[in-house]
Amino acid sequence: MKKLKEALAAGEFTITAECGPPKGTDITEMLDHAKHLLGKIHAINVTDNQSAVVRIGSLGVCRLLSEMGHDPIFQLTCRDRNRLAIQSDLMGAHILGIKNVLCMTGDHVSAGDHKTAKPVYDFESVQLLQCVAKLNSGKDWEGNDMKGATDLYQGAVVTPESNPLEPQMMKFEKKVKAGANFFQTQAIYDMDNFKRFMDRARKYDVKVLAGILLLKNAGMANFLNKFVPGITVPQELIDRLKAAGKEGALDCGMDIAAEQVRIIKEQGLCDGAHVMAIGLENKVPDILQRAGIA
Amino acid sequence: MIITKSKEKDSVLDMLKDVKSVFLIGCSECASLCGTGSPEALAEMKATLEAAGKKVTGSTVAKTGCQVLGTKVELKPMKEETESADAILVMSCGAGTQAMVEVFKDKKVYPANDTNFLGNMTRFQHFDERCSMCGECIIDKTGGICPVTTCPKGILNGPCGGTNNGMCEVSPDIECAWAKIYARMERTGELEKMKEIIPPKDYSKKLSPKVWVIEKKKEEK
Repeated sequence: MKKLKEALAAGEFTITAECGPPKGTDITEMLDHAKHLLGKIHAINVTDNQSAVVRIGSLGVCRLLSEMGHDPIFQLTCRDRNRLAIQSDLMGAHILGIKNVLCMTGDHVSAGDHKTAKPVYDFESVQLLQCVAKLNSGKDWEGNDMKGATDLYQGAVVTPESNPLEPQMMKFEKKVKAGANFFQTQAIYDMDNFKRFMDRARKYDVKVLAGILLLKNAGMANFLNKFVPGITVPQELIDRLKAAGKEGALDCGMDIAAEQVRIIKEQGLCDGAHVMAIGLENKVPDILQRAGIA
Repeated sequence: MIITKSKEKDSVLDMLKDVKSVFLIGCSECASLCGTGSPEALAEMKATLEAAGKKVTGSTVAKTGCQVLGTKVELKPMKEETESADAILVMSCGAGTQAMVEVFKDKKVYPANDTNFLGNMTRFQHFDERCSMCGECIIDKTGGICPVTTCPKGILNGPCGGTNNGMCEVSPDIECAWAKIYARMERTGELEKMKEIIPPKDYSKKLSPKVWVIEKKKEEK
C-alpha cells in the first residue's frame, strides 16, 4: 500500500481515515481499531484535542501508529500553541518520521471541556501553512537558518457546504497559495453541491479528499443538521436511517457511506475519500469493501 | 470607552470585611455611562455599605478618574473625609482604581468594579467590543471590521468551518466577523483586497506594561 503522498502523486484513489486519541493513557482500544485499518487505507489522521477536549497529544500517537506501519497525518491546531511551540512540534514530527501535517485553526475552547483556558491562536490555518512551508525550506518563521529542514506534506481543510460559500472559497485559495498540497473536506452529503465545489477546486494544483462521515443513526444526522455548521444531511438519508430502525441504523449508515465513496470514485469527483467513523474505525474496512475498494 | 461591571455586593462586602469606614470615588466618564461609577451607583453603594454597618465618610465622582493629577486636585477639599476613612472604594475602571492607589500612598484602595473591555455604546447601556487595542490596526484590509476582536479565534484570513449563515459557532449571539467583512468589502468594491494573505500579528506591540510619552507636545510646552 502506497503512502499518502505517493498514492496521490500516482493518481490512485486515496483513502484516509481518522482516529481520535482517548483521554487518559489507556490507548489499547484506539490502537486495536488502528490495527484493523492496516493495509486498507493510505494514511490515518490523528486528531489534536478535537472539539477542544483534552486528550493524548497527536504527535506521540502519530509515532505509535507509524511504528505499527501506518502513514500518520499529524493534525496540528493553533488553539493550544504559540508560534514557538508550533515550530518545535513540526520539527519534532519530522524527527519522529511523521511525513504529513494537517494544518487547522482549531475548535474554540468554548466548545470543549476546559472552557476557562486561554485560547492561543497566535497563528491561524493559513499562516500555519506558510510556517510549514518555511520550515520545509530550511528557515524558521523569522527567517533564521535551521540545521536540517523539515519535509512535511502539507494538508488543509475546507468546508464545501459552508454558507456563504464565497468567503470559504477565498480562504481555500489562500491556503493553496500558502502551501497546501492536499485538502480533506468537512463531511459532505449533497453530491451535486460537492460537484459544484470540485469544479472550482479543480482549477488549483491540489489534491482533494472528500470527507465521508459515518451516520450512526437518524438522531446523529439531525444533530449534525442542527448543531454542526457546514454539514447538511439531506432528508432523504435521514428517512432511510429512520426506516432501518434501531437495529439496522448503523448498517444503513455504512451503506450510505459506502455509496458515497463509490460515487466519488466512479465519477472521479476528486482524488480520494477521508472516512470519519468517530470511534467506529473498525467498521471502515467493511465500508470500503461495500464501496468496492479492496 | 472602558466597559466596567459592578462586582457582586457580597464580593465587595467580603473585600471590606476588616474595614469600618469607606470613602467612595466614582468617575464621570466611562464608569458613569456604564452605570458603575455614576452618582446613582455611588448612592446605591452607600446604602449597601451602611446597611452592612459600615460608615461612609464621603463620596465624589471624579471628572476623569484615570487622570492622576487632576483627580488629586479634585480630592483636596475632601481631605478630612478621605483621611478619616479606613479604605477608599473606587467605582471606576482598573486604571481609575490604580490612579487612587497612587494618590493614597498609605491607605487601602479597593476596586468595586471588574474592568472588561474597550467598548462601543451601540444603544443606551448596550456595549459591543470592536477593538482590542492590539497596537497595529489592520482594518484597512478587512473592510473596517476588526477580525482580531470580533472573531473569537481572531482569524485574519477568512472564515473558519464554524461560520453558519452569517453567525458564529461559538455563540448564536455572535455574528461571523468574516461573513460581515465579506459583505462589506463586496459593497465597497474591495473584494480583490480580501485575497491578500494577512500575516500574523506582531504581539510585541501588545506586551504589557506599556508606556507612551508624547515627547513633541512636551517640548512645545
